[in-house]
Amino acid sequence: MPKHIASGLKYLAAVKLKDAGKSHQEIADELGVDRSTISHYLNGRNLSWNSIDVARTIIDLSPRDFLRMAEALFDEPEKSRKIVNICRERDFEVSIKDSCIGCGLCVNACSMKAIKLESLTAHADSIQCCGCQLCEDECPTNSIKILEI
Amino acid sequence: MIRNLKEVKDNNFDITRDAEEVRNLSFKDHICIGCGICESTCPVEAITLNEIAIGARHRISNDVYFSGHEKIAQNFHEDFDVQRVTIDEGKCVLCGMCSGLCPVDALELTIDGVPIKEIEAYPHYNAFSEIDDDECIYCKRCEVACPRDAIVIERVLPNRADLVTGEIEVDDEECIYCGICQELCPAEAIVVDNETGKESIVIDKDKCVYCLVCKKSCPTTAIKAICRACNYGEYDLDPAKAAVTGNSIIDSELCVYCGWCEGVCPTDAAKVKKPFEGSIEIDDDKCQACGACVDICKCNALAFPVSSGPGSRMEHVTAYPDYCVSCKACAKACPNGAITVKRTAVDHTPTKSATWADALEAIKD
Repeated sequence: MPKHIASGLKYLAAVKLKDAGKSHQEIADELGVDRSTISHYLNGRNLSWNSIDVARTIIDLSPRDFLRMAEALFDEPEKSRKIVNICRERDFEVSIKDSCIGCGLCVNACSMKAIKLESLTAHADSIQCCGCQLCEDECPTNSIKILEI
Repeated sequence: MIRNLKEVKDNNFDITRDAEEVRNLSFKDHICIGCGICESTCPVEAITLNEIAIGARHRISNDVYFSGHEKIAQNFHEDFDVQRVTIDEGKCVLCGMCSGLCPVDALELTIDGVPIKEIEAYPHYNAFSEIDDDECIYCKRCEVACPRDAIVIERVLPNRADLVTGEIEVDDEECIYCGICQELCPAEAIVVDNETGKESIVIDKDKCVYCLVCKKSCPTTAIKAICRACNYGEYDLDPAKAAVTGNSIIDSELCVYCGWCEGVCPTDAAKVKKPFEGSIEIDDDKCQACGACVDICKCNALAFPVSSGPGSRMEHVTAYPDYCVSCKACAKACPNGAITVKRTAVDHTPTKSATWADALEAIKD
């Protein structure tokens, strides 16, 4: 069952990438599956509509729940990161205040690898942010603010 | 998601966090000087400076009529066996601020195995201690003066035979193997065997200093010797062979940059730059001569004046500002608030982080 839902998420991701004008081969490379699998997905084969419905529900969860579900469904962090990045419906802006002490907890917390330490201060790439706010929870000095845009 | 797990290795505090980068913070009590800078800078309040036997300190300060400092110090050491700081591993986020601001290396944060003092992005104190081997005469005064036993001077002495030269020989025909020369020789250079039938006399020319005591004491004028230094002057000495050589080692882990080595160095070989500049003052009216400050000071910058005899009461402690590093450990240890230490300047490398810059600024008065 979890595999079907993961396939459902991959299908939705494939549709999004297709809408963005990508070829089947490009989509296959991006998602790390065969080109034929992508063709099957996009032609509505090999998939139950029910698992696509569940996948849609998962995407509609709060960003943190979506991320956690994706992490549970895909064994590799690299794959769940891709899916979340492609499928998420919302964009966020991360601001980090000067009170950052550079402890690196946020870097560890961020599944999207959106935060890097530079000159003892955390720097976030808002484009990568999935809005899960795990970093906000971890930050010992409350220096991170994430807003939806 | 990579779990943010911390692992504490021992009670002396060694904590590791494995994730994007492996961070490790370790604490070495024997290096800690008890300044408390870590406690005041920790952004998550995970560090507590332990009250070192405050009860014992009060007890002694209320009973100051001791005849000697040794007794006070003895009493203290029994109660002093307390780790200087406690770190709450639950709160610690391994930011490294305590390590970066520690004036010695008692707290050390490493990132992927590299100590932050070697990472340029982190600010460092511009403090150093060094001994210039070109100037050093290997007199060992610094080694003796160093309050932390951080200095080792390894010196190689010239051969005695290279400093005093001469000639000596024994006339076997005349020698009666009486052994008088052996007994008198100040350099223990002569061995006489007077056993009948096996008589011999051997002079070790490496040990002989050509003092001519043997020649003068010989009852049969069997020994002929001459001292070149006395007879020809000193030109016969080879300066290269007469020189003391060696090398000096400062244990940078133990060094507190107190400046004792520079202070006692008869040449300009020892140089010290302290991390802080500041002043120290003792209010003689408040000082109860309890010795808490003397005991905690790692720089030997505080001492009791030499006692004026048994039964005399030591009124107060004296500070030696030249050797003070303005760490404030004494001011924190004093139960009577008699010591005022001011840090007026902190010399460190620049940092781009506003928080770290603020923290460095905050340790100034």
